[in-house]
Amino acid sequence: MRWLETSPERYDAGMRLITFGRVAHLHAGVAEAAVAKPGDRVLEIGCGTGAVTLRLLARGARVTAIDQSPDMIEQAKSRAGTADVAFLEQTAAEIDALPEASFDAIVLSLCLSDMSASERAWVLGGCPRILAPGGRLVAADEVRAPAGWRRVLQRLWRLPQAALGWLLTGALSHPLADLGGELQRAGFALRREQRWLHGSLALFVAEPSA
Amino acid sequence: MTATARVKDGLLDFLQTAFRLFPWPTEPGLRKIGRPDASSPVLLTGNFDLTVRRLVKALEGRDAWLLVAPSGGINVWCASSGGHLSTHQVVTALKTSGIADQVSHRQVILPQLAATGVLALDVFRRSRWQVRFGPVDLRDLPEYLETREKTDAMRRVTFPLRDRLQMALMWAAPTALVIGALALWLAPGWTLPCIALVAAMSASVFTLYDRLGVRRREILLTTSIALALAATWSADGGAAALTAAVVAPAFLSALLTLDYAGSTPLEGGSHFEERSWHIALDEAACEGVFRCFEVCPEACFERDDAGRKAILAHDERCIRCGACVVQCPKDALFLESDAGERIPPDTIRRFKLNLLGKRKIVAPGAPGANRAAGR
Repeated sequence: MRWLETSPERYDAGMRLITFGRVAHLHAGVAEAAVAKPGDRVLEIGCGTGAVTLRLLARGARVTAIDQSPDMIEQAKSRAGTADVAFLEQTAAEIDALPEASFDAIVLSLCLSDMSASERAWVLGGCPRILAPGGRLVAADEVRAPAGWRRVLQRLWRLPQAALGWLLTGALSHPLADLGGELQRAGFALRREQRWLHGSLALFVAEPSA
Repeated sequence: MTATARVKDGLLDFLQTAFRLFPWPTEPGLRKIGRPDASSPVLLTGNFDLTVRRLVKALEGRDAWLLVAPSGGINVWCASSGGHLSTHQVVTALKTSGIADQVSHRQVILPQLAATGVLALDVFRRSRWQVRFGPVDLRDLPEYLETREKTDAMRRVTFPLRDRLQMALMWAAPTALVIGALALWLAPGWTLPCIALVAAMSASVFTLYDRLGVRRREILLTTSIALALAATWSADGGAAALTAAVVAPAFLSALLTLDYAGSTPLEGGSHFEERSWHIALDEAACEGVFRCFEVCPEACFERDDAGRKAILAHDERCIRCGACVVQCPKDALFLESDAGERIPPDTIRRFKLNLLGKRKIVAPGAPGANRAAGR
């Protein structure tokens, strides 16, 4: 969804529009899966305008939110107000600077599909180190719909969206072909999977495999 | 290259030049040129396909690592100034591409025109890689890699005929498509003349504009109106001819108003308000690091006689790209208005060049902060 990011103001409205409002379900699902109990330390990679951040905070989490866009962080910051959250302007590639075993959950909501394959592998591979024992990773993103009519529907729906995105500058994001597999290759065991919008939005809950 | 590959390549060259207003992304990541080893140079560029293909061609017969960073499929100059190729993308590419496992050194060569967006000091702080800004033009890369010395010619942007025509094509092609389609619909007979008019106007603006002196806008505009009226008259009037007569000068004045729209670092682009701002150098703060000298596309800086401080010797050439301001490790450069207001370096680092005037947001407490906030 990179083209929407060129303006934080239109990001939220745009995401709601192209997911027919399902993005709200995804945000709620992510927050619910990430926060087991109040006081949990959650790292949110790619917080954007803070839609998930606010939901994490509402569930009592202590949040560290990173994003590489200063505009996005500004937006998220003003929405979060005085809540218990630290915003860091940095890239996902810099999570190797975070202390070991320092988070109960890591959240990646709609940001993996904006990364290149090597970037995803590097970021996901760095996650187990910073998770505390018993910690979990929650990854939600646009994924390739299951084969058959649903994938045809997804392709048709993406066509005007892709054209618009291409015209309005910024690269195109591609639905992830095998998010579950990438999580497993990065050293995670899948615990739960949930899908919306004919299977084109997916949420995975995973834990580092022993 | 086989004949088919060459045709395909040429076709891509044309399309990507004519429609370079739109992004043409290629897959980011690490690529090999020749047979690079642990001591081979590491070059980094954005993922605008045309640039990457030209780079690979220019370095044929050499061994180097090419790191393609995600710049949204946009060329280096536009992506760096617009925030698509910034420290973030460079750090990400350096850390996640696996290049650190391939080479024994930690020096990466970037195009000089990336200097408006990629902060060399930040890249080092965040990745331990040292940034060198290479030549402006990738055609100078072979010589630069040989000598590792950037000559004065390599650091200065020129605008030769070939580049001028390419930029003219970039504006003419999409415009001709739109106007041509409209003409085809309303008055088919006018399609080709309309397209020819747009092409001629783009070509003349880009080959003549900056050579006409101070009255250039008036000269070109008058000529175009005269041309359009002549065309209308020769076609015995009519609604279509009249439309063309209106559309053509409108297109031309748009082109002129845009002042090349940043198509080249030769003119300041469409930042009208910034005309009243200029780069200022705080001589007391300058410690002679000469990053400004290395990154200025107009070669505005010189060294003083002792070689200890930079001098802003040719500020009449300055296009306010901001590269010197954001790269200076001593914060000795900033933007200053004629009224004495300042935009501090960090504001420029943050908002880049073209984020629709956001650069004017002055840090609270800074001189001129109240005025800027009231905009």
